[in-house]
Amino acid sequence: MTLRERGNRIARLGTVVTALALLGLAGVYVRAIVYTPVEAAQGAAQKIFYVHVPSAWAGLMAFVITGLLSILYLWLKDRRLDLAAAASAEVGVAFSAIILTTGPIWGKPIWGTWWTWDARLTSTLFLFLLFVGYIVLRGVLTDPGIRGRFSAVIGIMALFLVPFIHLTVYLFRTLHPAPIVLKPSRPSLPGDMLTTLLLSVGVFTVLYAGFLMLRYGLGLLREAREEELADAP
Amino acid sequence: MGSTFRAAWHIAVKDLAIEWRTKTAFASGLVFAVLVLAVLFFSRDPTTVSATDIAPGAMWVTFTFASMLGLNRAFLIERELRALDGILLTPAPRAAIYWGKFVANLAFVGAIEAISLPLFVLFYDVPIWQRLGELILVIAMATVAFVAVGTLLSAMVVRTRYAELMLPLLLLPFLVPPLVAGVQATAPLLDGRPLSDVSGWLKLIAGFDVAFVTLAALLFEVVLDE
Amino acid sequence: MLGCAGRGRGGPSNMAAGATGGKGGGHARGPAGGSNVSGAVTAPAMDAVLSASGVIRRFGYRTVLAGVSLSLRRGEVLLLVGPNGAGKTTLLRVLAGLLRPAKGHVERHGAIGMVAHDAMLYPALSARANLRFFARLHGIADRGRVDAVLEQVGLSRRADDRVGTFSRGMLQRVAIARALVHEPGLLLFDEPLSGLDAAASRTLVELLVSFRERGTAMIIVSHEMERLGRVATHMVRLAAGRVGHVESLAGRDPGAVFADLMRGDL
Repeated sequence: MTLRERGNRIARLGTVVTALALLGLAGVYVRAIVYTPVEAAQGAAQKIFYVHVPSAWAGLMAFVITGLLSILYLWLKDRRLDLAAAASAEVGVAFSAIILTTGPIWGKPIWGTWWTWDARLTSTLFLFLLFVGYIVLRGVLTDPGIRGRFSAVIGIMALFLVPFIHLTVYLFRTLHPAPIVLKPSRPSLPGDMLTTLLLSVGVFTVLYAGFLMLRYGLGLLREAREEELADAP
Repeated sequence: MGSTFRAAWHIAVKDLAIEWRTKTAFASGLVFAVLVLAVLFFSRDPTTVSATDIAPGAMWVTFTFASMLGLNRAFLIERELRALDGILLTPAPRAAIYWGKFVANLAFVGAIEAISLPLFVLFYDVPIWQRLGELILVIAMATVAFVAVGTLLSAMVVRTRYAELMLPLLLLPFLVPPLVAGVQATAPLLDGRPLSDVSGWLKLIAGFDVAFVTLAALLFEVVLDE
Repeated sequence: MLGCAGRGRGGPSNMAAGATGGKGGGHARGPAGGSNVSGAVTAPAMDAVLSASGVIRRFGYRTVLAGVSLSLRRGEVLLLVGPNGAGKTTLLRVLAGLLRPAKGHVERHGAIGMVAHDAMLYPALSARANLRFFARLHGIADRGRVDAVLEQVGLSRRADDRVGTFSRGMLQRVAIARALVHEPGLLLFDEPLSGLDAAASRTLVELLVSFRERGTAMIIVSHEMERLGRVATHMVRLAAGRVGHVESLAGRDPGAVFADLMRGDL
């Protein structure tokens, strides 16, 4: 199958998967808003939790996958691995943007502040900035071999950065406890809420896969174009 | 191993000799450090924020930004007349290029820090003399982190047209753990707390150093290839 | 000199097949001229200084070198000609080891020195300091070597001046000194005469002749036939990523060979 055919096929598949995921997302929203009980302490605003937490999961997964694909690319040198890593990075940036906007929207009514320096938000912020830099770097490097290798280096280093940022925030928090106790991750949830959350995580994972396929398919099509241009007299 | 060490040493000495001849990067770094220290000192309300409150942050921000000014120069000199190709044509191991640049950058940044520190004491009137040894330890550990990652990244961005912009953009996220740890370890030390009180932060920087010096050295050869 | 197989039309033939005899001997003199014969290797292999086979190098999706094979023996001076953008610089860099081929390999027997468009020096340091640095990286401890090579290129008087102040001609000479400092058996030159005035060019050509007389093999990329014709022993054309027939220049007018090569008649 030519590059162009493969690109088109993956993009089409990606469209289908994304459409399904969006349907699923709509379903989860309905369930979250209508059918899931309102949380006692935080009120209706807490429901953003069902978008915020799964986005965080999807964003982190996207960046970890970029890191792993980068390692594979340096090892196997297959250009498609680089395209997939870059696609995952862009999807990760998109999800991170969601987290960084929903976080404050949730935070303000609940904790009274727009921003909280908890581990997840902080790592998301810095990973978001780093991968924006990754995308900018790819934009200024024209040689595809150099672009792939340099991106892979950043992707791999980002993988190792994540635990250190978490550790930094953890240490900061234990030494300077915030006035408000934060338990944004894994509070003990009653059955219905947990189900909604898990459904949402599942849907976001599928959404990630769909976006990834779309972006990767686009990347393949661009490669196909470059190949055609190179062959032209 | 021995040949890597020797070649790295020659490269480091050569880099420092060049910097000594021109002194441009060093002078700029120093002037910049003084400016940052002064601006941070004046950009607060003196009635509510004491100098000692912001001192650790000011010192670390100064070191970080002044170091970044110097990092790009290491690979710019290699690009002017493609001297790096000349090095690659010798039997010198490629890893020696990383280590040589790493050592030269450490010396460069260390020199800026050594001169900025007394100026810092002058402006902010902080009692560092009793804790000088411990402070230098913390500063040294964090500087290793800055330079390890900065050397690798500067080798990459020097090829682009926007090296001065891309280096801070890519480097700063990596500096968050050592920078925060550095500031958080400095404040208690200046307050008179013992070193053991900040052992958590020290362990974090140490772990970061080990992880990223290794990673940067391994990944550097990828960056050299064309 | 190993070049290509088959009859002498310049074209995709690029196989390293048999060799004919030593410098200038034993070549069939047909209408196409030059070494035309594929036969058994008659020259001793230990004379070989470089051999490349099947070198492929790409840039993105463009193939710059499409399978180049070449070899060179001691004392041979190969002039590499071809249209702009043919990949001559790329080939030189692959042969030097600065670039890795996607396929194929290059075998180097002994050390290589290279003089390219950029001098590969540090403008802030003196000629002597530059040479000392590279000598150290080659493992040469003897300081006299640097002085000797500076003398050889005629720069002893300006040895302690900053290289950044040098003219193009002088810079070229320091670059040559840098390439020579470890006494390589093979020198690679990429357009060595470009940017030089007549006097500097003459000096450089004399230098090249002296290298050849010492038995140093050389590959020179250039189109300056008038000056370099008498230095070269062989000539080959690189076009569309492939080398054509390697022509021996023994007893022939280099200008005529060059004209034929560039026209594609060979």
